Amino acid sequence: MTEHYEEIVARVRETLVEAGSTFREDKKEAYRQAIAAEQNEKARWVLEQVLANAQAAETNRSPLCDDTGIPHLVLEVGEDCAVTGKMLDAIKEGVAEGLRKLPGRPMGILGDDSRRIDQSGGLDPDPAGVEPAPILLRRCKENVIRLHILMFGGGPAIRAKTYRVFHKHSAQVVLDEIVQWATEGVAQLGCSPCTLAIGVGRSHFEAASMMLQAQADGRYDVQSEMEREITRRVNEAKIGPLGLGGSTSVIATFMKVGPQRASGVRIVCVRPACCFEPRIATVELGE
Amino acid sequence: MSIEITTPISEETIEQLHVGDTVEISGYILCGRDAVLPKVLKMIEDGTAQDLGVDLRGQVIFHTAVSPAGVGPTSSNKLEIESSIAPLSAAGIKLHLGKGQLHAETVAALDRYNAVYAVIPPVTALLGARTGETRVVAFPELGMEALHLIKVDRYPAIIGAAHGRSIYD
Repeated sequence: MTEHYEEIVARVRETLVEAGSTFREDKKEAYRQAIAAEQNEKARWVLEQVLANAQAAETNRSPLCDDTGIPHLVLEVGEDCAVTGKMLDAIKEGVAEGLRKLPGRPMGILGDDSRRIDQSGGLDPDPAGVEPAPILLRRCKENVIRLHILMFGGGPAIRAKTYRVFHKHSAQVVLDEIVQWATEGVAQLGCSPCTLAIGVGRSHFEAASMMLQAQADGRYDVQSEMEREITRRVNEAKIGPLGLGGSTSVIATFMKVGPQRASGVRIVCVRPACCFEPRIATVELGE
Repeated sequence: MSIEITTPISEETIEQLHVGDTVEISGYILCGRDAVLPKVLKMIEDGTAQDLGVDLRGQVIFHTAVSPAGVGPTSSNKLEIESSIAPLSAAGIKLHLGKGQLHAETVAALDRYNAVYAVIPPVTALLGARTGETRVVAFPELGMEALHLIKVDRYPAIIGAAHGRSIYD
């Protein structure tokens, strides 16, 4: 177990570094297409800078952004696979080692409940003081244990919104609300173009977890009709990269709709993920 | 073609900058954000800003933390940051470097003190190669949010607000 434990720690460490420093290939291609299509000179300059930054970060295995983010973990478990407490310990240790190696920004807050809220307890100088969010566990078809690591920055968290929508028995009503929230959020977010991450569920917890899974599963080259409509309509606002105008406010939309209840209400979570998000990498930890 | 700016920045240089200009900033610049800027303002109000050991006149303030992860702009329209722009401009800061749309009152205040606001892309990996020495100027207990002085070489930015106009209008 010790050897396997160390192997998991090492794999998680390197995966976290990859998540914080690398654009996936479909994202690079989405940026290249956006640069080619963008007519606004300043918008194109920003897109080129973001893509060049991604290439530099990947080469150096250094942070894409100085807000290196809060680790969010999605753990997938196959049919015959067992997740043990020891494995969760190894994952946690791997995250800590990854944060030190990246390096993550040392932004964990020390102190009791009150001091952590008002930030009077001081900062933990150790990048590993940034604890991951609770792990989301789900089943996968393949007979493996697979971990997705996503790094969530602060800017999108400020502009994200989770709230109820009275759907009036029309999906279009919900889409209209999403477009309105997203347009407001993208306009306020400094670091666009965005990838819109959207979850629809029966509770705030479920909607937020759908939003997280949408980022784990989403691909820039595979877009549903609803995702394309949301992207197109937000881009019509001409907010542009960094809010400087142009037609590329949103690169793509990743949306996941969960089970719904018999009710006039849907709970919707919209996160305007910044130009670097989803910062994600995936690793298999064994069978 | 980018306009090259070197700190300390003169009144004449600011007068010649316009919204939409692409600039490259070099020299020593200050870095501060939510936690430290109110403390700097308090020192200015108390008449103790000279204790900082840096001359604010002609300076740049970059709205960023400084950490081993690098530097990158945080939103300049966060309450504690945007509210610092007018009084810091009055104290001599000539260029506020960050991201995001500012309110009309802040744009007007920049004009009143002949200062400008510039938007910098959040390109931490690229900025890393253009960042030299860094040191804490004040409030070291704030860690990455302390007031820092860093040496930069050709930081790219776009003038976002100048002479009463905003690029977001």
